Amino acid sequence: MIRTIFEKLASWWFKNKKDINLGFYGPPNAGKTSLANRICKDFLGEELGKVSKIPHETREVQFRESVEVEYDGKKMKLKLVDTPGIATKVDYEDFLKYKLKKSEAKKRAKEATQGIVEAIKWLEDMDVVVVVLDATENPYNQVNITIIGNLVARKIPVLIVANKIDLKKADIKRIKAAFPEYPVVGISAKYGNNIEEFYREVFNISKKRKKK
Amino acid sequence: MPHQCVHCGKIYPTGSKEILEGCSCGSRFFYYIKDEEYQKLKEKIPLLTKEEKKQIERDIREMSGIKKEDAPIVLDLESIRAISPGKFEIDIVNLFNKHRPIIYKVEEGKYIIDLASTFEKNKKN
Repeated sequence: MIRTIFEKLASWWFKNKKDINLGFYGPPNAGKTSLANRICKDFLGEELGKVSKIPHETREVQFRESVEVEYDGKKMKLKLVDTPGIATKVDYEDFLKYKLKKSEAKKRAKEATQGIVEAIKWLEDMDVVVVVLDATENPYNQVNITIIGNLVARKIPVLIVANKIDLKKADIKRIKAAFPEYPVVGISAKYGNNIEEFYREVFNISKKRKKK
Repeated sequence: MPHQCVHCGKIYPTGSKEILEGCSCGSRFFYYIKDEEYQKLKEKIPLLTKEEKKQIERDIREMSGIKKEDAPIVLDLESIRAISPGKFEIDIVNLFNKHRPIIYKVEEGKYIIDLASTFEKNKKN
């Protein structure tokens, strides 16, 4: 009887608990949407957004509220915020090789630029941020350093994800060496490799968030 | 700090009512210039056709989400620069700085726009 009451109370408290805003940030084509999709698929059975080989596929901030994530018997309610890739240059000509028409490519470039502004605006509201990097790429660049530097300045806990570890060229060590002060977890969002460790780290960094 | 009308090039000093109400030519697009850079900038102001100016205004209003046709837009240091249609350079360091407004610069017209009025912190939803 007491247990039932306790369980009901616990479930009421959990339902009324505010979502933790978890943002996915990073350069284009690093796998932010793939990772958000992976979490949504694992816990909701459906995807959040479309992924594509063409950079800047996500050009608007997309989110899913009240995603109950479970790891090792612990639960957490997240609002997943998938953001457009942040870049210092958007050039429509880069899209032409993916056989987009010139007009479509120009539109994509304009929307992608708007998306960058939106992504940065949303940063204010994040409790924790997962910075998704492509482990096959050199991590030392202005985009990565600026994103991570700003998160630290705003005291937002950061988890760095080295994505695409299923690819031969992937180099997690290089990412760890670039950002030695932050937790780095290597995963493959596409195939789900090492995703459990990712969830563990998400729980860890969520504890560090500033309470609202 | 003077402001200069994008369309007719007329210069207005800081605090002029024209900056809020619009230039005498009817435009509400202004360059924001530092005194010391004024001479330098003046040389850079390109000549644009009417249609180019209109296109740039349309693009920037669309990108910034300013729906009001008559909302004034003041120009400042750029954080987004359009080199040509479909080609953008983004100064993310500038954009991440929450104390600064968002500024677009369109090079085919090489202009710079401060969107302070739209850069509200709780803008979402």
